[in-house]
Amino acid sequence: MAYTILFGVFTALMLIGMPIAFCLGIASVATVMYLGIPAIVVFQQMNSGMNVFAMMAIPFFIFAGDLMVRGGIADRLIRFAAGIVGHLRGGLGQVNIVASTLFGGISGSAVADASAVGGLMIPQMAARGYDRGYAVNVTVNAAIIALMIPPSHNMILYSIAAGGNVSVADLFTAGILPGLLLAAALMVTAYIVARRRGYPSEPFPGFRKLGYFLLASLPGLLLIGIIFGGVRSGVFTATESSCIAVFYALLVAVLVYRELDWNGFIEAVLQAVRTTAMVLLVIGTAASFGWLMSFLQVQQVLVGIISAISDNPIVVLLMINVILLVLGTFMDMAPMVIICTPILLPVVKAFGIDPVHFGVVMILNAGIGLNTPPVGTVLFVGCAVGGISIREAMRTIWPFFGASIFVLMLVTYIPGLSLWLPALFR
Amino acid sequence: QEITLRSADIHPDGYPTVDAVKYMGELVSQRTNGRIKIEVQNNGTLGNEKDTIEQTRFGVIDMNRVNAAPFNNLIPETVVLGLPFLFRSTEHMHNTVDGPIGDEILAAFEPHGLIGLAYYDSGARSFYSKKPIEKLADLKGMKVRVQQSDLWIAMMEAFGANPTPMPMGEVYSSLETGVVDAAENNWPSYESARHFEIAKNYTLTQHSMNPEILVISKISWDKLSPDDQKVLKEAAKESVVKMRELWSAREKSSEEKVRAAGVNVITVDKAEFSDAMKPVYDKFITDPKMKDLLERIRATK
Amino acid sequence: MWRFMQAVRPVLAGLSRASLYLSGVGLLVMTAAVGWQVFARYVLNDTPSWSEPLSLHLMSWFIILGAAVGVRESVHLGLDFVRHGAPPAMQRAMDLVSLGLIVLFGIAMTYYSILLAAGTWSARIPVLGWPGGVDFIPMIVGGLLISLFAAERFIDTCLGAEIAADVVLQEAA
Ligand code: NA
Ligand code: NA
Repeated sequence: MAYTILFGVFTALMLIGMPIAFCLGIASVATVMYLGIPAIVVFQQMNSGMNVFAMMAIPFFIFAGDLMVRGGIADRLIRFAAGIVGHLRGGLGQVNIVASTLFGGISGSAVADASAVGGLMIPQMAARGYDRGYAVNVTVNAAIIALMIPPSHNMILYSIAAGGNVSVADLFTAGILPGLLLAAALMVTAYIVARRRGYPSEPFPGFRKLGYFLLASLPGLLLIGIIFGGVRSGVFTATESSCIAVFYALLVAVLVYRELDWNGFIEAVLQAVRTTAMVLLVIGTAASFGWLMSFLQVQQVLVGIISAISDNPIVVLLMINVILLVLGTFMDMAPMVIICTPILLPVVKAFGIDPVHFGVVMILNAGIGLNTPPVGTVLFVGCAVGGISIREAMRTIWPFFGASIFVLMLVTYIPGLSLWLPALFR
Repeated sequence: QEITLRSADIHPDGYPTVDAVKYMGELVSQRTNGRIKIEVQNNGTLGNEKDTIEQTRFGVIDMNRVNAAPFNNLIPETVVLGLPFLFRSTEHMHNTVDGPIGDEILAAFEPHGLIGLAYYDSGARSFYSKKPIEKLADLKGMKVRVQQSDLWIAMMEAFGANPTPMPMGEVYSSLETGVVDAAENNWPSYESARHFEIAKNYTLTQHSMNPEILVISKISWDKLSPDDQKVLKEAAKESVVKMRELWSAREKSSEEKVRAAGVNVITVDKAEFSDAMKPVYDKFITDPKMKDLLERIRATK
Repeated sequence: MWRFMQAVRPVLAGLSRASLYLSGVGLLVMTAAVGWQVFARYVLNDTPSWSEPLSLHLMSWFIILGAAVGVRESVHLGLDFVRHGAPPAMQRAMDLVSLGLIVLFGIAMTYYSILLAAGTWSARIPVLGWPGGVDFIPMIVGGLLISLFAAERFIDTCLGAEIAADVVLQEAA
């Protein structure tokens, strides 16, 4: 009965359009009242959920991403990407993906990626005759790359949720190959779709111009090295690296590109506050919801079900992927990582799966969930930027989903994709 | 009627504290013909130690097994137990907490909505580092991870180190990459958190023997009949014996595992380290009550 | 009622603006504190122990104030499939239920956070030395603001003058 109240109230409230943070909180209060335990615990857990040091990486990386967009770092990266791959078939789609990959190297947020790259690319693509649905789908799927390529505050969240025994530096390194693989798979898909629809390509700018574009985007690209090198060599923790990213982005935007004025700065601050407050409030109430799931021992029930079905690691991994994909449709990334990691990690560990490998699987999975309604933050942002409805976007998203799922399967069943690079760096 | 007491623990399955409370549950269940049960929810699923302490006080959960340190900011008497080089040996610690002093400190929990049931062992904490610590001077300027606690920060400062407060979760990668140079903990945690893989020097300073404490919520306690309360108290005391067996076995197996991994275990002149601790005592033992408590602990055989 | 709403609107707008700017300041101070932590550790070899707990406290403030502003501006992420498909009268009913429950949730947040603050006041926050209950002040204030702003939209919806837009997703940039 308590299960029914917890999940039933949550679903019912979500369906009437209540903000997800409050659905989680109110479902928790309802369940606690049913169980007859003091409701005080809901708010205690909400407060603790918002009080995790590693969580600071979220506002910092989002703030840094905002400064990069306003300070001219993002558009130089896109121009550079246009120079490299614009001449391919469906050129602007390819540019979108490469730009997302580059931007992903300096930002950890798929939402920031979708709005930064999508905001600049979707209008251009629409103007050049691309279907808006196509432009949005390329944008939102490519945005997932940002989660895989370091830095990624979601990898930090995973490490924390895993109990802290998983090295963030290893997780950062482990995401690189899968991230690049996802980029490649999406580029092939975008190419095939573009060919079928007869989308144009852009002229190649020539190597001289390309060199200039590279030079202009260099200060932005350098941040990749600073964050990755800084964390890898221990100059700062992963959480601190997000703060360094803010200082660096500010420095480049104000002193190098001189594109950020006082008003732009204020806007970036307020925007970062608006966005992160929303995400972090969800994390807060998700902590209450998660506490109740622990209290009701939902995870034990789940483990029981899984091990009753099969003890074959291949089947178990497949099941876990399916569970995560289904949960991902209605859960946001951060709460999903926070809630599911402590539940599922012990299960996969029992089957001999490396926690770093599973981290990559988990992040990619939750990332795909960012594009699946009913709760698909990145898809929502992409649709809002592109000015189309979610239904419109969903009509043509399938080839891109297919590509993402294909990469997910590769990453799930070939541990080397995740584990080879970290071993090399160690 | 049937009662199920829910007890929180942050440690994984098979950890001595977890098994000890489960053992206590078996005793209680036997002696009440299955009327009272204890259900241990470990792995930190109900929240961190500070959270579960609050939950116990507010009657959300019934019981809680926590280290003495997280109580420091709520119950000043518990600060004494964590003082550096306070206990001369494990035996001294046992004699202290098993005797009237132990009871006196547990009694201080009641005004805060908690009933103290028992003390469990937590071994002795020692430093581990990437560069070996062989004498006090080696600690000078070292970035040492500490718990977010005034006592611990003051202790590291007195050692001459640079205390770096950090959640347990960030310690592994921070040691690995050099954000911190050292940390400190008992054998089992050094082993189970896999910190020995990266900080391969373990220096036996044994600077603190802060025990673990088992408490029950006063709200849950008052609902029990005096007879049931007695059953619970006795079972808790008996679980202590069991816990100490489990603990020394665990400590030994962790030490063996760590030594087998090729860790450099260093013995030091402990007097040099303990002599540096005077500022800590000056700072935390200020009122006469605490002074008296400290003197009586020192006088305990 | 309509006139009353017109009268309090500027007050609420000011309150929301002030909350937004305050949380912006919180973010900036947090950035400075963590930046200082890295700087001090390397350059001064003296890690400030206050920077972490202080930043955490500031984070609570800016989340909760920003979230309250989000309620007023209706920028919270939600699922609007079913709601959009429903007839207008049904939509209005859904909004009223949703906003009404948020008002109650905000009140509960304030009430229980006061209990939490009172119950933990005698404890001390390590390093900062503040009473433990200070941790919950952001939630006390935030709960009030959330229910205030949700009540504003509730009354607006009742009066059929929904001022705040539907979920403004550009805000999630
Ligand atoms: Na990234
Ligand atoms: Na989704």
